[in-house]
Amino acid sequence: MAAEMMGVDMVTILVDDIELQVPKGELIVESVKRLGIEIPIFCYHPRMKPVGMCRMCLVETGTKQPDGTIRKMPKPQASCTLPASEGLAIYTQTPQIIQDRKGVLEFLLINHPLDCPICDRGGECPLQNNTLFYGPSTSRHIEFKRHAPKAIPLSEHVTLDLERCIQCGRCVRFTEEISGDGQLAFRFRGASMQPSTFALSAFESKFSGNTIEICPVGALTSSQSRFRARPWDLESSAGVCTLCSCGCNVWFDHRIGKLVRVNGRTNNAVNEEWTCDQGKFGHDYYNHNERQASVFIRTSARLESTSWTVGLGEIVTKLKSTGTSAGFLLGPKISNEAGFLACRAATALGSRQVAGIDSRVELGANFEVPADSLLSLEQAKVIVSVGPSLADTLPIVYLRVRKAASQKGAKVISIHSSPTELDEFAFLSLCHKPGTLSLLIQGLDGSLALEEVALQTGVSAQALKEAKTVLEGQGVSFIATNQVAHTEGSAALSDLRRLAKKLEANWNHFCETASGFASLASCSGLGMELQSPESILKKCLSGDIKFLWLVDFDPFELVKDRELVKQALEEVEFLVVQSAIASEASHYASVVLPQSLPAEGGGSFTNLDGQLQNFDAFLPKIGMARADWQIFAELLSRMDLAAGMFSRQDILQMAAKDVPYFKEALTGKQDHQPQPSGAGV
Amino acid sequence: MAERKLLLEHSHETSFRTRAGYEQTGGYEGLKKALGMERQAIIDEVKTSGLRGRGGAGFPTWIKWNGLPKEKKTSHFIICNADEGEPGTFKDKELIEKCPFLLVEGMTIAGVATQADAGYIYIRGEYLDGARSLRSAIDEAYKAGYLGKNIMGSGVNFDLYIHMGAGSYECGEETALMSSLMGERGMPRLKFPHAPLPTISGVFEKPTLINNVETYCCAPFILKNGGEWYATLGASTKNSRGTKIFSVSGHVKKPGNYEIEFGTPLQELLEIAGGMVDGDLKFCVPGGSSVPMIKKAEVERAIIGYEEMSEVRSMVGSGGCMFFNDSTCVVTFTWRTAQFYANESCGKCTPCREGTRWMVQILDRILAGGGNPGDAELLQQVASQIDGRSFCPLGDAAAWPVAAALRVFPEEFAYFIENGSSMVTGAKTLAMAP
Repeated sequence: MAAEMMGVDMVTILVDDIELQVPKGELIVESVKRLGIEIPIFCYHPRMKPVGMCRMCLVETGTKQPDGTIRKMPKPQASCTLPASEGLAIYTQTPQIIQDRKGVLEFLLINHPLDCPICDRGGECPLQNNTLFYGPSTSRHIEFKRHAPKAIPLSEHVTLDLERCIQCGRCVRFTEEISGDGQLAFRFRGASMQPSTFALSAFESKFSGNTIEICPVGALTSSQSRFRARPWDLESSAGVCTLCSCGCNVWFDHRIGKLVRVNGRTNNAVNEEWTCDQGKFGHDYYNHNERQASVFIRTSARLESTSWTVGLGEIVTKLKSTGTSAGFLLGPKISNEAGFLACRAATALGSRQVAGIDSRVELGANFEVPADSLLSLEQAKVIVSVGPSLADTLPIVYLRVRKAASQKGAKVISIHSSPTELDEFAFLSLCHKPGTLSLLIQGLDGSLALEEVALQTGVSAQALKEAKTVLEGQGVSFIATNQVAHTEGSAALSDLRRLAKKLEANWNHFCETASGFASLASCSGLGMELQSPESILKKCLSGDIKFLWLVDFDPFELVKDRELVKQALEEVEFLVVQSAIASEASHYASVVLPQSLPAEGGGSFTNLDGQLQNFDAFLPKIGMARADWQIFAELLSRMDLAAGMFSRQDILQMAAKDVPYFKEALTGKQDHQPQPSGAGV
Repeated sequence: MAERKLLLEHSHETSFRTRAGYEQTGGYEGLKKALGMERQAIIDEVKTSGLRGRGGAGFPTWIKWNGLPKEKKTSHFIICNADEGEPGTFKDKELIEKCPFLLVEGMTIAGVATQADAGYIYIRGEYLDGARSLRSAIDEAYKAGYLGKNIMGSGVNFDLYIHMGAGSYECGEETALMSSLMGERGMPRLKFPHAPLPTISGVFEKPTLINNVETYCCAPFILKNGGEWYATLGASTKNSRGTKIFSVSGHVKKPGNYEIEFGTPLQELLEIAGGMVDGDLKFCVPGGSSVPMIKKAEVERAIIGYEEMSEVRSMVGSGGCMFFNDSTCVVTFTWRTAQFYANESCGKCTPCREGTRWMVQILDRILAGGGNPGDAELLQQVASQIDGRSFCPLGDAAAWPVAAALRVFPEEFAYFIENGSSMVTGAKTLAMAP
């Protein structure tokens, strides 16, 4: 066995009289799964510390005596908290245990409203399932049920129905152990006990949506998808969240072609099973009422609806004359295929003017793969997070860092100019005056006296000294994003990189957008430099760029300098606006192309640590919309710049020839296949 | 046998609450002896004495003392459980109010034996007088060098702190007490074999010894007079040694705390307390409200001792001995007891949280005249679904009295369910508490 080879002590236990070798200390509730035996649970969750509250997992236990007989313990034991030890005997199917499970379920149901016909959880509810399999067929309770407020809005995302709550404490423990915000706690006691926020204030968490999923009943429900669909009417399709670069695996639950809700999908290498609130509740733009549904072309002063043939024809004509001065702005959520094809078009046309949000111009360096993966980050001894709130920019990275700190004892050093969530558990928080990061780094690398640095940055010399000592140790990982360049200047980011290299630490400059990694890789593979959007827009003003293509890039949202955007869009000769939702830029457009969203058009996406994840389409496209990669495939075919691109796979194969990253991703690394639904576990 | 005053010998003397008065009666001789002994010798002395935990469970005290690591690698703590909340029990109240030095000395001895850095006395929130008395005793002990750094020049350091509870019965459960002491919600924690014993990882995740007030108070006598001497007390019993304070209340003429030697017949305890008020003895709850009730015939043959009491299907418990005369309605008594446990359930585990409330609801209905045939069986089954299935002993404590009442007086329940009124008619006697 693998565990044996890794030097884990193995013990022999008896499960229903079957001998079994398991690692010493493994929880019995997990051990029995090795035999395919299921023990019903409510409060137990594999990613949180066991508490043994619900008593659903009771088993009879005994110990093997020297003469070979089993001496049973008088009381049944909770298997979710019982560690495996040599000679332990477990009985999961005795008449006593069957009776005990009935008893616990009868207790849980006496105060449960049984409003399953109108409950969002009905159909995917652990309480329903366990009752069906293990519960009594009727109740002997004829008294009044406990009444409690229904539909309390805990936050804008979470609505609490206290009557349905079975007080398992999963939500409370999640906020304590996983998200770390400690927003929920129990108040009152006995039968009146209820989960609550402090003084019923708002449930302020960046990960509150997870409590809805781990709730074993319909007590915590999503304010967004409440009463929108019955679970059995929903179809779950495996997808990837594209709202940031973490690449969380999610289930898109949809009904009659409409997205209803998003749930976490288990992938231990990415998001485990969690989602951030952004990802879970931020996909409602799929149902936006201004979704772009047809191609428009500008005739005199008006945009007029037209066909793809005409629209693309116009673009091809224009590109043939102004191709060398064509610029492309790549949006944050476009697929790998579209990003590659846009870069390919730019090189083929000879313009080589491509920009994305996640450019590395700040560093003057080309593409650099982060040293750590989300998994290996967990093993780091010291994690240095630099810049504004990690929980905001890269929420899942934040959860990993927290896990590394709280479960594996990693020392976290948080360097920032305003307090962040990391401070709660950071070993050291170096809060410096805004604009002094470079100085602080010079202090840490020893080129400036600590006292001097302390005076300038406002960080105590003692803390700096301590940080310096810790950083000189082994297993140090740096985490930074372009946010550092935005707030402290690109020089500070370069300094930081130099410090990490000097310390021989792992340097992780993470992309922040879903398209960032692949865009950078594509550009670098094709021998281009990914520019910043500002520099492209400035080239529009100077006339170097006459043709601008916004590939699902809304410059009014993504570029700070609004005046620059306005002038550039007015100045440029020909503007293609390709987007899923009508945007302000459309007003300046020569041609507007309707683009579908990932769940409608499909695409592959590369997350911040380089994992390529496929996302197959399952929702119908809106109107005339096409997938981003389809648009570029057709354009390149029409212009005879490339051929044979009939599917995404064809494009990826083509990319693999030009871009080393894609070659590696397609041959070496595994694509993460969807695993069975986590709902209701 | 009559009363055998050991712990309570000087409790009526106000001077006993001062250090000088305490020392006059032989106080601090135990500690002085202990400081001159090997640590293991102290524990062995306790082992010889046969002292068992006085909080209710009757666990051999020396095993706990012996359980802390001998080689000290981190801080050790000892805790005194003074969160006396069991209905019918008020012995610790008298001990800490009137004999505070006994506890202080007892804890110091335990601290020396277990290499503890500090002791915490977790006092029930309502015991203000006790806390004040203890406070002044601790202050005096510090001044006299019996506590703090370098106790009596021995080089041993030991600090003692008082922590007031906030009115939760559950916090008398040792792991919930530790959670409460650490500032967490007063809920019980995982116990062995699910988690290490408190002696390995207790309060603040450090090795911890936790004992009842009365248990610690026995330590000075054991050290002063020797374990062998202590073991002569109660020698007539199978395995119970020493004296035990019983808080006698109910329909007795002179309710109060009475200290007797193990082996004393229960009937004699009733006589010591002045016998019954108005009418005949109907039943007795010998060890606090959670232990099973016994009828008059059992009271007459019951001998006080941990094993002896189980012969009449009851327990010594915490020593809250309540006698009730024949004007008592057992159904009403059971309802009141059940209500207490439903109110005090912490809510952590399902059987206790839901089951205690259900039992009260059924009893409510029976008392209101709405009993249904089969209610007695239902009650019995609900109790059995709680007993042994709950997270901590509170669930068991809630189930036992109901199950026992149904077993001992089935006819009273049957009568109440059928007729909608109590079998017991006539004037009720007011139960008396001291």
